[in-house]
Amino acid sequence: MRTLIFADNYDIAKQIMGRALQDSQFTLMTTESNEDLQNYGAERVIFLKGQPVYSCIGETIISEFKKGYDFILIGSTTIGRDVAAYVSNKLNIDYMPEVFNYRFEGNKLITKRFSLGGKVVLEEESSAKVLTVTPGIGEGVRSEKKSPSEEIKIPDGPIKVLGVNPKQSQGVDIEKADVIVSVGRGLGKKEGLALIEQLAKKVKGEIAGSRPVCLDYHWLSEERQVGYSGKKVRPKIYIAIGISGQIQHIAGMRDSKTVIAINKDKNAPIFQECDYGLVADLYKAVPKLIEML
Amino acid sequence: MPYNIVVLVKQIPDLELIKINKDTGAPVLEGVPYRFENLSKNAVEAAVRLKEKYGGKVTAIMFGNEKGTQVMKEAYAMGVDDGYIITGYTESNPRFTAKVLANKIKQIPHDIIILGNQSADSMSGMLGSFLATQLNYPLLSNALKIEINDKTVTASEGTEKFVADEAAPLPCVISVTQETNEPRFPPVMMIMKAGQKKINIEPLNLPAESYSKVLSKLAPKSERKRIIFEDMDKGLPEIVKVIKEVVK
Ligand SMILES: Cc1cc2nc3c(=O)[nH]c(=O)nc-3n(C[C@H](O)[C@H](O)[C@H](O)COP(=O)(O)OP(=O)(O)OC[C@H]3O[C@@H](n4cnc5c(N)ncnc54)[C@H](O)[C@@H]3O)c2cc1C
Ligand SMILES: Nc1ncnc2c1ncn2[C@@H]1O[C@H](COP(=O)(O)O)[C@@H](O)[C@H]1O
Repeated sequence: MRTLIFADNYDIAKQIMGRALQDSQFTLMTTESNEDLQNYGAERVIFLKGQPVYSCIGETIISEFKKGYDFILIGSTTIGRDVAAYVSNKLNIDYMPEVFNYRFEGNKLITKRFSLGGKVVLEEESSAKVLTVTPGIGEGVRSEKKSPSEEIKIPDGPIKVLGVNPKQSQGVDIEKADVIVSVGRGLGKKEGLALIEQLAKKVKGEIAGSRPVCLDYHWLSEERQVGYSGKKVRPKIYIAIGISGQIQHIAGMRDSKTVIAINKDKNAPIFQECDYGLVADLYKAVPKLIEML
Repeated sequence: MPYNIVVLVKQIPDLELIKINKDTGAPVLEGVPYRFENLSKNAVEAAVRLKEKYGGKVTAIMFGNEKGTQVMKEAYAMGVDDGYIITGYTESNPRFTAKVLANKIKQIPHDIIILGNQSADSMSGMLGSFLATQLNYPLLSNALKIEINDKTVTASEGTEKFVADEAAPLPCVISVTQETNEPRFPPVMMIMKAGQKKINIEPLNLPAESYSKVLSKLAPKSERKRIIFEDMDKGLPEIVKVIKEVVK
C-alpha cells in the first residue's frame, strides 16, 4: 500500500509516519521546514513552500495523489481539517474525520473516533481513503536511511495572505510531565495562579489548564491547554482544581494514571472521572494541601 | 453597505445529560433534550454583529429535525431574522450535510456564510471546507476578527502556530471559534418576541447518503476509583499520601 501524508506540524508528522510505517510505504508532504523529518522512513519528503492556504495545499496534494497512492493521512489541525475536506470533495473519495486508531482487515478499513463530544467511541467500517488523524496516532521511528527531499511551491489562490504572525512558544511540554496541576475557571481570577504555582512547586509538577483559562482568559499560555482541542496528557498524577470536567476536557487527560479533583460542587462531572475527589473551596483546600505536603 | 448573511446552526443532544448504561456501556439517548451546539452560537453572534455593524439580514439554516424549533427560537432571540429547518438529519456526515445546506443556500440571497469551526458533539471540523469547496467559494477558517470592506472580507485566521491576516472576495464562507466572541444572552423581551416568529420547516429532498457501518458505539471504560471526600480533614491526608507515593 502507498500512503500520502500531509501534516503542518512537526510532532504530528513524526507520529503519523510512525503509524504508516506499520503497513505501508509513504511520502510526507509538509509545510514545516525541519530536515529532521527526513529521518523517519518516508520514501520522499516534500517540503511545501509559500502561503499556507488550505485549498492551494489541497491542489498540491491532489496532483501528488494522482501519481499513484491508495490512502491519504492528514494530521488533524486547523489547516489539516480544511485540506482534508477539500481533497475528499475534489477527488470524490470517502473520508473519516478525527481518527485516533485504524487498522485494515483484508481490504476493509476499520477506524475509531470519538462521538457525542467524547462520551463514546465509534468503531466503524468504511471505504474512506482520506483520514484526519489526531495527535498520538503513532510514535515516530527513526530510520537509518535518510529520505530524499524536494520542494514544491504552493500555488496562489483566491485567498490573499496579508501577514503572518507566529504565536510565541514558551517551550513548555506538558505532554511529558509526570505530575500536572491543572486549573479551571473555578480559579476565578488570574491572581489565584500564585497559589497554584506554590502547589506545582511542591509536587514538582507542570501547570496546565482548561480551555477557558488558556484561550479565553489567557491566564495561561495555549501550550498548557489540556483537552480535546488541546494537549493529550498522561501524567502519573493529574490534579484538577476548579475544573468541572466537561467531556472535551476529559478527552485530554483520560490516560492519566491517577486523577485527583478539587471542586466545590459535589455534582461536578469531574468527580465521575477521578480517583480521589475533594468537595471543597480551592482557596481553603489548596493552602492546607501545600502545608501538609 | 448591507449584506445578506447566512448562519448555519446545529442542534445537538445535551451532552452532559447523556447517561451511560452501566451494564452495556451504551449511551442512553432516549429523553435527552436537544440544545444549541456551542460553536453555532458563536457563529450566530458573529453574524448578528456583522448585521449590526454593516446592516443587512441574517438567515439561519439548520439541517436537523422538528425539535430544532427550540434552538431556532433562541437564534431569533439573538437577532436572526429568518430561519429554515430542513428535517431528516440522521447522522454526522459533513460532506452530505454540506450538500443539503448548499442546496438551500443557493435558493436565498447571500454574501457571507458563517458557521462554527468544529461542532461540540461530532467535532469533525470539516463542514466549512466541504461547503466552500462545493459552492466554489473561498473559506476563511477559524476567523478571530471579521471585517468587510465593500466586496472584500478580511479576517485573522488563528491556527495552532500562527495568526494570519487574510482577505477574500465575497461571497465567502467563514468559520468561527470559541474565542471569536462571547455569545449574548438575549433580553426577555427578545425571547418573548422570538416565540411568535415563523420558522420555515422543509423536508429533505435528497436521498440520504450514509458513510460508514458502525461496528460499536460504547463509552470508553473508566476504571477510576471515585473516592470522594466531603470532609477536608479526612480527604486531605489521603490525597497527600497518594501524591507522596509518586513525588518523593
Ligand atoms: C469543539 C470544542 C472543543 C473543546 N475543547 C476543549 C479542550 O480542549 N479543553 C477544555 O478544557 N475544554 C474544551 N472545550 C470547552 C469545554 O466544553 C468546557 O467549556 C471547559 O472545559 C470548561 O472549563 P472549566 O472546567 O475550567 O470551567 P467551568 O465548566 O466553568 O467549571 C468551573 C468549575 O470550577 C468550580 N469552582 C468554582 N469556584 C470554585 C472554587 N472556589 N473552588 C473549587 N471549585 C470551584 C465550579 O464548581 C465548576 O465545576 C471545548 C469545547 C468545544 C465545543
Ligand atoms: N446539521 C447542521 N445544520 C446546520 N449547521 C451545521 C450542521 N452541522 C454542522 N453545522 C455547522 O458547522 C459547524 C461545524 O460542524 P462540524 O463540521 O460538524 O464539526 C457547526 O458549529 C455549525 O455551525
